[in-house]
Amino acid sequence: MASVNIEAVRKRYGALEVIHGIDIDIPDGEFVVLVGPSGCGKSTLLRMIAGLEEISEGVIRIGERKVNDVPPKDRDIAMVFQNYALYPHMTVRENMGFSLKLRKAERKVIEERVKRAAEILGLGPLLDRYPKQLSGGQRQRVAMGRAIVRSPHVFLFDEPLSNLDAKLRVQMRTEIKALHQQLKTTSIYVTHDQIEAMTMADRIVVMHDGIVEQIGSPIELYDTPANIFVAGFIGSPAINLVSGVLRRNGNRNWVATEAGIDLPLGEVKAGQDGQPVVYGIRPEHLVPANGQGLPVKVEVVEPTGASTFVYADLSGAQICGVFTERHGFHPGSTIHLMPQMDRVHLFDSKTGQRLSA
Amino acid sequence: MNRIWKEGRLVLVAIPLLLWTLIPIYHLLVMAITPKSETFAGELWPKQPTIENFGIVIHQGHYYLEHFWIQFANSAFVAVMVCLLTLAIASAATFAISRLRVRGGVFVSNLALATYLVPPAFLAIPMYKVMANYELLNTQWALILTMVTFASPYAIWVLKQYADKLPYELDEAARIDGAGPMQIFRLVYLPLMVPCLVAVGTYALLLAWNEYLYAFLMLSSETETTLAVALGQFLSGDEAPWNLLMATGMVYALPPAVIYYVFRRYMVSGLTAGAVKS
Amino acid sequence: MTAVTPLDQHVGVGLKAPGRLRQETVWGLILIVPYLVLFLAFVLYPVGYGLWLGSDPKTYIRLWRDPVFFNAVVNTVVFLGVAVNVKMFLALLLSGFFTHEQRWIRWLSIVFILPWAVPSIPTILSFRWMLNAEWGMVNNLIFRYFQVEGPVWLLNRWSGLAAVCVVHIWKYLPFWTLILLAGRLAIPRDLYESADVDGAGGLQKFRYVTFPSMQNLYITCTLLSTIMSLGDFNSVYLLTGGGPADSTQTLATLGIRYAFGMSEIEAGVSTVVIALPVMIPLLFLMLRRMRRGEQG
Repeated sequence: MASVNIEAVRKRYGALEVIHGIDIDIPDGEFVVLVGPSGCGKSTLLRMIAGLEEISEGVIRIGERKVNDVPPKDRDIAMVFQNYALYPHMTVRENMGFSLKLRKAERKVIEERVKRAAEILGLGPLLDRYPKQLSGGQRQRVAMGRAIVRSPHVFLFDEPLSNLDAKLRVQMRTEIKALHQQLKTTSIYVTHDQIEAMTMADRIVVMHDGIVEQIGSPIELYDTPANIFVAGFIGSPAINLVSGVLRRNGNRNWVATEAGIDLPLGEVKAGQDGQPVVYGIRPEHLVPANGQGLPVKVEVVEPTGASTFVYADLSGAQICGVFTERHGFHPGSTIHLMPQMDRVHLFDSKTGQRLSA
Repeated sequence: MNRIWKEGRLVLVAIPLLLWTLIPIYHLLVMAITPKSETFAGELWPKQPTIENFGIVIHQGHYYLEHFWIQFANSAFVAVMVCLLTLAIASAATFAISRLRVRGGVFVSNLALATYLVPPAFLAIPMYKVMANYELLNTQWALILTMVTFASPYAIWVLKQYADKLPYELDEAARIDGAGPMQIFRLVYLPLMVPCLVAVGTYALLLAWNEYLYAFLMLSSETETTLAVALGQFLSGDEAPWNLLMATGMVYALPPAVIYYVFRRYMVSGLTAGAVKS
Repeated sequence: MTAVTPLDQHVGVGLKAPGRLRQETVWGLILIVPYLVLFLAFVLYPVGYGLWLGSDPKTYIRLWRDPVFFNAVVNTVVFLGVAVNVKMFLALLLSGFFTHEQRWIRWLSIVFILPWAVPSIPTILSFRWMLNAEWGMVNNLIFRYFQVEGPVWLLNRWSGLAAVCVVHIWKYLPFWTLILLAGRLAIPRDLYESADVDGAGGLQKFRYVTFPSMQNLYITCTLLSTIMSLGDFNSVYLLTGGGPADSTQTLATLGIRYAFGMSEIEAGVSTVVIALPVMIPLLFLMLRRMRRGEQG
């Protein structure tokens, strides 16, 4: 097992720079998720860690060793691919033992380690099947088995669950997390799905356009997003963001929108009167209030059973609210919603950075 | 009623089609079992059908058939060598182009494609001269190398298309698993390419076995030449023993036909991929 | 996100990964060298040599004065124009026939492929003997049932050329039918289903669904077949031998005849070189089409 250090790493394809200098320190045993929209560079970064891409600038260390010029096979890593990349002409057993066979391990050793990995993953009865005879979830498990057989220092996952259907994805999510808790191998996991990131990660790295937007635990990212991008990316349904101007008048603060609505604020530490800001409040932090708060016109009501999503119009801005109580709102009616003051996020309009943090 | 009418229309197409396809083959068969006395009768079916002609072929019992088995073996040797060499050269080249993405690989595959589009008959004369310069004339290597030259562009074209579709992640997974380029070639690439290799190998085999022009140009000694040339040789005299010629032709046509039908499934996919894709 | 990422999407990816540079480049070169050597020794050298042999303008003047050569040019044009187009058109129709899924049609398709599956020498020679004016089965049957002497099939320029076309079509029709059949089967079924829903009849479906989808393939196939047929040596040589009196020669056979029958190597090569102004544009057109097909 090993730590992974990424220092000022850049990636260029010719003149085009796609990763603009990234620093991440991953201590031994941590489960880190790289998350971001497609094209943000997360997969490229993972592939640089794997040794499948050259590092244009900067240093990557696995353990204490600088690995920039070390070929993938000598980095002591294992990787699970999005499409599993199982060798179609080999059985599950051969797939899992392939790396050991290439390393000229003794047959007995291979057999023993494949068997142990198969036990961990419940693959015992499938060992003599070919990949095409397996279901998506089983293939996924074999891909993991192939990774753990070698007991590598680092596991790399490249969107391993995106080819599975929704139900299996949730199940495999739990399995991977349980596996990590059992093996405690440093893991770097790439996904575009923020829910996957939130549920699995010890720490999340949010990436966007080749830079790191924020690094932190899932709860940190949720509670104190560093900027508008992170705020918008983490959380589902997405946070409500409304532009306006910060107003400070004595100990009363609010954000005035262009449409003439005053959005209430609690205590504000930073920001000046008249500063253009973005006001953020998560749907789950809007509370129905009688006569007080923001008057909104209900447009769509989506009951999911456990909670109800309400999409409503606030003088031209669309606002979403999530309620666990069943209020029985109807489209067309006007209701009042009150933001929980301590849950409001304020961002500078120009820089997008968090105010009041 | 409607269905009978529909089926009937199909039958109306099928009958002429069947006749068209089978008449020359039927004629070949009829001549092959016609005794010498009836060769010039032009009958729809011989009065005294015989399999004696095949006996003469097998026992080399005629002036034109003196070296039948040697020529048969020559044909087989040339075909197998062309098949193996083409497979070796083309699979190595496509691995380098498609998987190792060697510099200039795309250029080489375009060269191959351009070569595929040159009709072999157009290169016959310079090829003959070049083989003379290499001092390979009258050796089977002249024919083998020529046929490999004409088979491998097609092979590269088809193999490359197939190889390009293999997920690249397999190679990456193998590299992370610790495989070097040659191990990926041997343990991952070749096993996955088997269906395509069968198609391409069969193509090369049949191409070489069936070749007439180049065999006839490059091999002159009767014991060096192939069956295809021997068949053409029947026409050198004034009165060819057509019944024996047809019997020999059938024996000659049998192995490639069997091979074709055994590997038909692979062949068809290979041909459709290789000929055109648009 | 697709289940399988084709290589094309990885353009530029992984090209310069660590440790690749030395090992993989070296192996890539080693593996591609055999084909390069083959190409240089047996394609580039002969082509260059051929062009050099065919570079004397005097040869072309001499050829132009040779009536046999002029005939051969005409024959080649007629052969390509008739044989290729009839063959491709029949293949287009027959490919429709073979889309029917009845079991007996499957069996028929196996028989239908025979001309392509068996070597051409015995079957062409079979045609030759069958069409023999005096002893052949065709004229014999004509005489028996109609009491007239049949035509001297192979001993006349135009009927001989027609026979060459028939043999060529007989041999290569199955192959092109197969190709066009693959093209037809690749047309998404729901296109036909939606045409059905829209109330299209059989002809309309051909006009609005089949033809537009097949158009490109049909043209590509016709071009490719033209190039390949230009080099069809066997159909002429083994059937008529270019006779009578060299009247059915085509460029492919005449070149060989000049070079090896009359020991005029330069004339032989020049016969082929003359076709280059037609062939090279065709070749580039095909290259473009086939490469585009590969990417698309």
